[in-house]
Amino acid sequence: MMAHAAAFAEPWSVRHRLAQPVLRRAVALMDGTDGDPARFDALVLAVGRAHDRRAFKDLFDHFAPRVKGYLVRLGARNALAEDLAQEAMLAVWRKAALFDPDRASASTWIFTIARNLRIDSIRKELRPEIDPADPLLQPDGERAPDETVEWAKAEARLRLAIAELPREQSRIIELSFLAEKPHSLIASELGLPLGTVKSRIRLAMARLRLALGDGA
Amino acid sequence: MSITHHPGEELLLSYASGAADEAVALLVASHLTMCRTCRLTVRTAEAAGGAVLSSLPPAVMGDRAYESVLARLDEPAARIVREANLNSEVPAPLQRYVGGDYGAIAWRPIARGLSHLPLETRGGTRARLYRAEPGAVIVPHTHRGDEWTLVLTGSYSDETGNYGPGDVQSATPEIEHSPKADPGPVCINLAVTNAPLVFRGIIPRIAGWFFGF
Repeated sequence: MMAHAAAFAEPWSVRHRLAQPVLRRAVALMDGTDGDPARFDALVLAVGRAHDRRAFKDLFDHFAPRVKGYLVRLGARNALAEDLAQEAMLAVWRKAALFDPDRASASTWIFTIARNLRIDSIRKELRPEIDPADPLLQPDGERAPDETVEWAKAEARLRLAIAELPREQSRIIELSFLAEKPHSLIASELGLPLGTVKSRIRLAMARLRLALGDGA
Repeated sequence: MSITHHPGEELLLSYASGAADEAVALLVASHLTMCRTCRLTVRTAEAAGGAVLSSLPPAVMGDRAYESVLARLDEPAARIVREANLNSEVPAPLQRYVGGDYGAIAWRPIARGLSHLPLETRGGTRARLYRAEPGAVIVPHTHRGDEWTLVLTGSYSDETGNYGPGDVQSATPEIEHSPKADPGPVCINLAVTNAPLVFRGIIPRIAGWFFGF
């Protein structure tokens, strides 16, 4: 057990992690009821509307271990990752009424909670974010592209698109989330020019945006 | 108002992933307030983050993890208070650092028509606001690292082009430029650097050191 924990505390190594593609599993997960995104959206809504504890338990069972896994991958030791995963789930309970499935799926929403909690608790930084009520945001004329897509369906298409990205592109996207370092450093650890990394990101993001737009 | 210069997608992705440090996040969030196109890109990237989270192998939670969270569900949560003044021309994310009124900022003069305000952020990247009267010039400089500049009001021009409200100029170390504020409204911009600027000439260098660039 101790050896196991010590292994998690080792400094992050890009090459080591490359052996474990994770994004392709996203699609496989969606096939089972366990990973059905719409089900999780409904659970968060139930918590938000009625403080439904059974729904919360289901969310906890699914997401707490994944949030903890995310924190460990980013270098948190086991005890800290455990505490923060619990904090994240508490935040899910408290903020559930603010969850809007037209803006993000449950897993995306919980990802942003975990990300911000990490920045706040581990890096001790503020997290500047847009204020959705800021009048500077108001669309001037036609509706903004991010307000016209049906988001739940769009995210399902996006996950398929991620799974279909060329491996060299999905690898960079994955590392962007699981290595807390600038792309210049990711590039040098992969032995790639920074320009190559940037163009892979551009290509990947273009495909993902296209996937969001399809069927909208 | 039309934005023609956007931050690179790798910058938007690092904001979405959380890898960007505070000063960069401040610049991106302020740009997002003004730019719908990049808001969609960030939402797309965050959805990719959601996919990454769902696909990670689950870690093993402690034996009593759920019970200890359950015991805290009824704790009163801290109330979320809105700090931003929504009738301000200052983007909400920036208001935490400088307040809601550019006119009320205690600007520190640097040169004729030019003043600045360093912002307090954590992380390795530094942020400051510049206020430039029409015609004011920042002396020629290069960069040891990257510099991103978001125009908040007015506009400026340099050797590479013209930058108006919402535009982000990304300068790499090899670019030497001397931005000059255009005629019209006062140009206020937010500049973020991950290494000190390098001024050309000994006097600007000393001044640069003095002002903490």
